[in-house]
Amino acid sequence: MSVLRSELYRTATVRSSWLAMFASLVLGLAFGWFSEDFWTLFAGLAAFGVAVVSTAQHYQHRTAVLLFLGQPRRLRALAAQCVVAVLITTVLTVISGLTVLPSGEGEQYLSTVTVVPLMAVYGVANATVVRHPTWLFSGYAGWLLFVELLIGRMESPLPFSSFLGAATGRTDALLAFAAWTVAALIAAGWSIRRDLTAD
Amino acid sequence: MIETRRLTKKYGGVAAVEDVTFSAAAGRVTGFLGLNGSGKTTTMRILLGLSRASSGQALINGRRYRDLDKPLRQVGSVLEQGLSHPGQSGRDHLITQGLLCGASRARVDRLLAYVGLAEAARQRSGDYSLGMRQRLAVATALLGEPPVLVLDEPANGLDPSGMAWLREMLRDHARAGGTVLISSHLLAELVQLIDDVVIIADGRVRLTAPLAEVAGDRVPRLRVRGGDPNRLWDAYLRAGAEVDTDGRVLFVSGLTAEDAGEIALHVQVPVYELVSETPNLEEVFLSLAASDNPGTTPTGLAGRR
Repeated sequence: MSVLRSELYRTATVRSSWLAMFASLVLGLAFGWFSEDFWTLFAGLAAFGVAVVSTAQHYQHRTAVLLFLGQPRRLRALAAQCVVAVLITTVLTVISGLTVLPSGEGEQYLSTVTVVPLMAVYGVANATVVRHPTWLFSGYAGWLLFVELLIGRMESPLPFSSFLGAATGRTDALLAFAAWTVAALIAAGWSIRRDLTAD
Repeated sequence: MIETRRLTKKYGGVAAVEDVTFSAAAGRVTGFLGLNGSGKTTTMRILLGLSRASSGQALINGRRYRDLDKPLRQVGSVLEQGLSHPGQSGRDHLITQGLLCGASRARVDRLLAYVGLAEAARQRSGDYSLGMRQRLAVATALLGEPPVLVLDEPANGLDPSGMAWLREMLRDHARAGGTVLISSHLLAELVQLIDDVVIIADGRVRLTAPLAEVAGDRVPRLRVRGGDPNRLWDAYLRAGAEVDTDGRVLFVSGLTAEDAGEIALHVQVPVYELVSETPNLEEVFLSLAASDNPGTTPTGLAGRR
């Protein structure tokens, strides 16, 4: 619980974090105004981005050292980071999707709000493994564009495609995305034990 | 009480530290000395659970760091420089860390005043000078009011007044029964502060001893310049002293200044200079810290490694 409160306070007091959250909120509201599908895609990407940034900046600015000094049982620290990311991204998604509701797409709104927490956990897990947000974002940009969009046409059981499928109510896609998230969490659970070197 | 037992850390086949065994007692300040790259930071990171030992144990009050209950209430540490999010103010950084150990905001404000950062409390820590970041790091270490302090080069970036403040703070902490382990690559930085010394070189502990004992073991020598060095040399040798020369100057070990003066009077050689040279601890430190081979330990210190 102390790690949870500490992480929430940190996120709320780091200017870049709340600027990113504010920007994702405004953009989400705008996307929702034009298209519920765009909003769903953006909600997933925003959740991934916010989760990655909030986790990876610990490694980027070396504050992971302080986090692990305060909570040396690192799996608990990872769990707290997941909960924080879920809380923040769920609130952002709930608010940013308000512009979708007038178009009568309540079902997609609810599905997206339900699946976004998984995306947040997926983002935290990825950031824990890779530790460098720039590498992660550029890697996933290429992956999304070339693998999931051009080759898979966003219909394959790959992470972002299955997120979109799950957000539109497909159970098989939800299961596929849950499997990706569990796999990422297992990798994160192994990776978080790595030494924090003084580089 | 801090204790390491045969601590070894290997990266690939290369040992960063090997068989490191020492202890730091409560109520004393222990200096952990070694040149850059000697293994100080690796040892401290293992002690604090940030790196895993390949073998051996590192214990604080008899337990591994990760097994301590509320670790920030038991151990405060300064590692690296400027460990804070640069976009966070110093005060927000301390509140964030305070939430981890249950420190109140009133304590945060008191600490900011104590370390001299009250006026810069709401400034982004990324805009802090090196010295201010180091003061913030010390405040972070003190948040949980821990009895044990582990400080890796905490004096880096501090100005002379900051150094004096740090020395006083650590002395007070030890006087109150706390344990302080402080590392540095400069003996001069710590010599006025530490009670015990651990010297590490090439990943191995070369010496553990009370500082006073290290100084005491160094036999003082006399620097004697007289009218007839050869007669003085013979006289001092006959008196059982060890004598060395540098031109017309003799270096005499094993005699007091009074003895050396009276012997000179007895053999009727005028003495123009008679000085007792104090042992140079920096030389001791450098000779041990730079040593590639434990066997090169200076005479007088051997056997205590």
